[in-house]
Amino acid sequence: MAKSRNNRDVAPSAAATTQASVTSTSSTANITAPAATTTTAKSSKAAAKSSWDQMVLNIANHYTKSTPQRTKLLDAFMAFLVVVGALQFLYCILAGNYPFNAFLSGFSATVGQFVLTASLRIQTTEANKSDFPAVSPERAFADFVVCSLILHFFCVNFIN
Amino acid sequence: MSANSLQVLAAAGKGESTRTALRVIILCLIAAAAVSSRLFSVIRFESIIHEFDPWFNFRATKYLVANGFYKFWDWFDDRTWHPLGRVTGGTLYPGLMVTSGVIYHALRALTIPVDIRNICVLLAPAFSGLTAFAAYLLTNEMTTSNSAGLLAAAFMGIAPGYISRSVAGSYDNEAIAIFLLVFTFYLWIKALKLGSMLWGALCALFYGYMVASWGGYAFITCLLPLHALVLICMGRYSTRLYVAYCTWYALGTLASMQIPFVGFLPVKTSEHMPALGLFGFLQLLAFLDYVRSALPSRQYQTFLWLFAGGTFGLGLAGLVIATSAGIIAPWGGRFYSLWDTSYAKIHIPIIASVSEHQPTAWPAFFFDLNFLIWLFPAGVYLCFQQLADEHVFIVVYALFGSYFAGVMVRLMLTLTPVVCVAAAIAISTVLDTYLDARSPDPENAKAEEAVEGATKKASKSGLKSTTKPLVGIYSYVSKGVVVTAMTLYLLLFVLHCTWVTSNAYSSPSVVLASKLADGSQHIIDDYREAYQWLRQNTKDDAKIMSWWDYGYQIGGMADRPTLVDNNTWNNTHIATVGKAMSSSEEVSYPIMRQHEVDYVLVVFGALLGYSGDDINKFLWMVRIAEGIWPDEVKEREFFTPRGEYRVDDQASETMKNSLMYKMSYYNYNSLFPPGQAQDRVRQVRLPEVGPTLNVLDEAFTSENWIIRIYKVKDLDNLGRDHASAAAFDRGLKKKRAAKKRAPRVLRVE
Amino acid sequence: MSESPCDHDSPMWTPCNEDVNSLLCRSFPGDASYRELREEHLAPEAPVHIHAPQVFKNANLVHVISVEKNYVKESINVVIENIDKAAQDEYFIPFTADQVSRLGGVEVKDRKDATAGPFTAEVAEFDPTSDTQYLRIQLPTPLKSGAQQTLGINYYLLKAYKPLPAAIAQDEPQFLAYSFSAYAPSVYTTSKQKTEVKFPSTSIPDYTKLPGSGDIKEFPQKQGSKLTYGPFDEKPAGAVEPVEVRFEFTKPVTHISLLERDIEVSHWGGNVAFEERYTLYHRGANLSALFNRVKWSQSQYYNPNTYAIKELKFPLKVGSADAYYTDVIGNVSTSRFRSNKREALLEIKPRYPIFGGWKYPFTIGWNSDAKNFLRKLSGGGYVLNVPFLEGPKQVEGVEYEQALIRVVLPEGAENVKYYTTIPPSSISEVEVQTHKTFLDTIGRPAIVFKARNLVDDFRDRELVVTYDYPLSATLRKPLIVFASMMALFVSAWALGSVDLKFSSK
Repeated sequence: MAKSRNNRDVAPSAAATTQASVTSTSSTANITAPAATTTTAKSSKAAAKSSWDQMVLNIANHYTKSTPQRTKLLDAFMAFLVVVGALQFLYCILAGNYPFNAFLSGFSATVGQFVLTASLRIQTTEANKSDFPAVSPERAFADFVVCSLILHFFCVNFIN
Repeated sequence: MSANSLQVLAAAGKGESTRTALRVIILCLIAAAAVSSRLFSVIRFESIIHEFDPWFNFRATKYLVANGFYKFWDWFDDRTWHPLGRVTGGTLYPGLMVTSGVIYHALRALTIPVDIRNICVLLAPAFSGLTAFAAYLLTNEMTTSNSAGLLAAAFMGIAPGYISRSVAGSYDNEAIAIFLLVFTFYLWIKALKLGSMLWGALCALFYGYMVASWGGYAFITCLLPLHALVLICMGRYSTRLYVAYCTWYALGTLASMQIPFVGFLPVKTSEHMPALGLFGFLQLLAFLDYVRSALPSRQYQTFLWLFAGGTFGLGLAGLVIATSAGIIAPWGGRFYSLWDTSYAKIHIPIIASVSEHQPTAWPAFFFDLNFLIWLFPAGVYLCFQQLADEHVFIVVYALFGSYFAGVMVRLMLTLTPVVCVAAAIAISTVLDTYLDARSPDPENAKAEEAVEGATKKASKSGLKSTTKPLVGIYSYVSKGVVVTAMTLYLLLFVLHCTWVTSNAYSSPSVVLASKLADGSQHIIDDYREAYQWLRQNTKDDAKIMSWWDYGYQIGGMADRPTLVDNNTWNNTHIATVGKAMSSSEEVSYPIMRQHEVDYVLVVFGALLGYSGDDINKFLWMVRIAEGIWPDEVKEREFFTPRGEYRVDDQASETMKNSLMYKMSYYNYNSLFPPGQAQDRVRQVRLPEVGPTLNVLDEAFTSENWIIRIYKVKDLDNLGRDHASAAAFDRGLKKKRAAKKRAPRVLRVE
Repeated sequence: MSESPCDHDSPMWTPCNEDVNSLLCRSFPGDASYRELREEHLAPEAPVHIHAPQVFKNANLVHVISVEKNYVKESINVVIENIDKAAQDEYFIPFTADQVSRLGGVEVKDRKDATAGPFTAEVAEFDPTSDTQYLRIQLPTPLKSGAQQTLGINYYLLKAYKPLPAAIAQDEPQFLAYSFSAYAPSVYTTSKQKTEVKFPSTSIPDYTKLPGSGDIKEFPQKQGSKLTYGPFDEKPAGAVEPVEVRFEFTKPVTHISLLERDIEVSHWGGNVAFEERYTLYHRGANLSALFNRVKWSQSQYYNPNTYAIKELKFPLKVGSADAYYTDVIGNVSTSRFRSNKREALLEIKPRYPIFGGWKYPFTIGWNSDAKNFLRKLSGGGYVLNVPFLEGPKQVEGVEYEQALIRVVLPEGAENVKYYTTIPPSSISEVEVQTHKTFLDTIGRPAIVFKARNLVDDFRDRELVVTYDYPLSATLRKPLIVFASMMALFVSAWALGSVDLKFSSK
């Protein structure tokens, strides 16, 4: 699990930095790439370093090329959620989970929000248009808002 | 309805709005049929709450209506499980009570004051109408044929498998849960098809409602991930699946955790782990899916293998560590018994003692589902033929549901919806094929004259076929034969359902009915007689000890504190009562004093031949007590040396000395001429000398002796008896008892 | 005269007491509880200071006490004479505070003149702390000085008996004890009086004996089921001679602590619905041993005479229909209802036989066609004529400690008036409330009568309610239902036509 989280971290954080400096996309991608490479390379023993480099590079390239501005905003938000979630988890491990419902509702709020945002992202992506004939981007956003409201209502209620 | 008017109808039926109107009318009729077929017991008896558990729900509902929602939430009930009490608000599924409470207040607001009892009694039939509607919606998602939906609704409305739990008065969680189950499935299919977050959220909300209503929600919790997993394994992962599942899981889990009784279970117990696991797995898949779109396939392959291998290893390790460290609870006992039917018998007698938890007998399937059961595989086969995502769901549900229905009688309930849907698909396909009305065929009209219900369906299919010409059957003879046969089956089904409902499922079990010689109905109302007596003529806080079956009824009807009840949360406490019942008076008396018991209630059927009495349940008491005190209570000793369970003079000494035996047969033989006392349940002659009771007084016996209530004597009178040596004491008592009995025998003569 | 030795001390009955006790000790050797009970029972009857002006004299008085039923019916027929100089119109009768709380159904008539109608009689309280309270009878025309008038005073006392012994076996006969004064209670000097006690049967094992006077050696005289104390010669005001009788009463002592009777008139349904909720107690002897079913079912065959309540019979008005009998846990199947042109009889059997000290609340109800009770007046109003009290009709009688009679009129009825033949002193409160039920918007007017200490002798008393019911009120309900349905459809249509789609953007 930890590794997967780590891996997912890579792409969005790259996204976040790219967003910060839109003008020099390729250079920032290059900067983050080695960092990502080292983390993944440590855990995977047999993989050739060059192919990993290549892969990550490809992903980054693909991302920067084909992602619209709005979606990047979403990605930034998702990355933020991942960080918050990781922090909560860390806190839980280090400081104990005493008010368990508080931890749980906080953590599920981040996870739930992440999932909802991911769904919104998927639904608004042009490439997935064929999968969602009935869902226009506006409709997707309305759904997203409604779902988030429900989610946070439950979380607040659960936190006591 | 004549053929002529039908043609007019058919002509009119071409308009879409007319068809919609017709459909609405048919659905309303189906709902009306569903409701009215459940009213047998109200008409035959009265508007009364049935059986055992509903009495608790009813009592809780009354508490909710009287005290408001917040007090209900924090309800600590000190009138059950004396002296422990029960945190009732946190240990029940509040959905049912809240539903009735809301209906009650809504009707009040509409200035229609209806007694809360009537709302509770009629809730199940009302929801069965909704279930029929939900079945219609669900089936419509499966097939393009409208008739299938209507048929499914009709089947759902009158299938005995569902009626068994939803007759008027059976105010149990299942009453609303089945509707929620079917509707949640409908919403799930809808969400999956559209890939819409909103439908997913709706699905989650109804899932939350379901969790609030019934422990069987775990069925959904396991079925939806299973469906998703099967889809993934079939290579049908799609972003729609991701959206639907993740929205459902994220919101649904949070919603389910709002119920105090469920609390942290969704993240702690193994039953909920598949859903969580799949949730994580879907995140990975989504990520992989994204990566795949970004990478050339060669690179993607290596990436995939490394990634998948690493994740799997880590995940497995995490799970093992978590389980062994006790973070995730092992699976519950009831759950184990689902896998191994003999598990409960060996390890948890209290679960095995409930007849609903027994494995289903084969005839029960036919009894509860009639001809649907053999149409069911046909329907599933038809689903295989199309095999879109939603058909996979039906297939998975069918397999899963059949297995569980085979393991536990009461899970027949969860199988019924899918059987209805699948059978409806099968029948509508058959009818659509054979009622191909390319030319107006006489069979159509003939079939229509037979039943009104079938008429509408047939006309519907007729209409359908005009728009969709089929390569089909050209011989009118075969058409006629098949259609007639189907109509006949449908008719028989209706007959069967009515018969089963009226004969098997409409008895309140609180009230027994018997036929007198002149054919008039005689009502045996011993339960309520005794409960009313307790309610009116004992102290308000008199503690009643009885076997747990009657706990809820005593709480509901007699309004007195009980030691144990049908919420069997504390096995030890139940075993204590079992021990008190199965031990001798000398052992039982201190137990009863310790628990401040004032009255002891037993159910005794020997006079009337009522077989559900306590002597027949006695072995379970012994077994449960033996589970906790294997040294003091031994099941073996209750059998004769030849291994028989007897109550006559051959009965074992332990049996004869047990409190239960004594309470049941105390004074019984004075009803008969000497030596003629007869037990009409077990068909034996009882010993000539009846048992004597030293620590209890007979306080009340109902008219037909079904309920016998004993008062526990005060300590003062008996202090010396207990102090003296047991063996000497018994000898003394026997002598005294013999003296006492002499005049009584005389008086009888 | 036996009174003189007793009169010295404040517990004036002490000398007589020994006599009584020895008598009772014979029948119940060693029963200490009986003695206590007796003392407590007699103590309050000590003479007290009299507030009422001494303006009358009782020329002749006959006091008839009937203990035939499970309440006491007393009637005092008295010839009163005005000994004052001025004309007087207020006559007083003393009661203890305890008696006043149990006193009901007081009716006073002129025995000679039936047209004089019932006189006003009400409890007049002079001193709230005093134990003695008075019943003030208002004579319609003041009695001239020296003139005489014959009054017939009837009243009932509830909860009058003590079972003696207090606990018996379930097949034993039941005995009740009643204590009273051999001299009629009066605040005036009584020249001549006698007290008759009527019993349900001739079995009267114990009664207080008093020394006789004149040619009678000993009071009372026993004739069949009747005891007569007296005639006594002149007694001063407030003279009391405690007497206790104990008699067999192997019948239920049915006591209804609260009766709630709802009468609901519906013009739309053309129906009058009755519902009565009873809280019933058995005030007789308790069971000495716990209930024994074997004995009970045997006694059902051999000796059906029992003091337990087995059955209650409700003769309803002809034309009653749809009777039901329920209690708090649902319908009770052991009832029979027979309704034909001549009678409508509801017979109910409680779930279990009710013994002394047991309690059994239940509900019965029935419907009747409105035309049996309701008439339209020529002036446009309506008049409703229903029995004030129905309830069971038992040989042994039924007493009602409190009754709450509620007549619910249709929504919109106005100008509500009532008239009843129940003694006005029995009704403690009348008010008009609003009762909201099915599809009501402003609620229905309901007249609520609070009555106390009634007995089943008042079963036939009428209650007449008149009211106006304008046409607009008749049409209110269907209009409101129609309007709200319309509103619902319109709002559904409006909601349905709101476009929630975003795609048009």
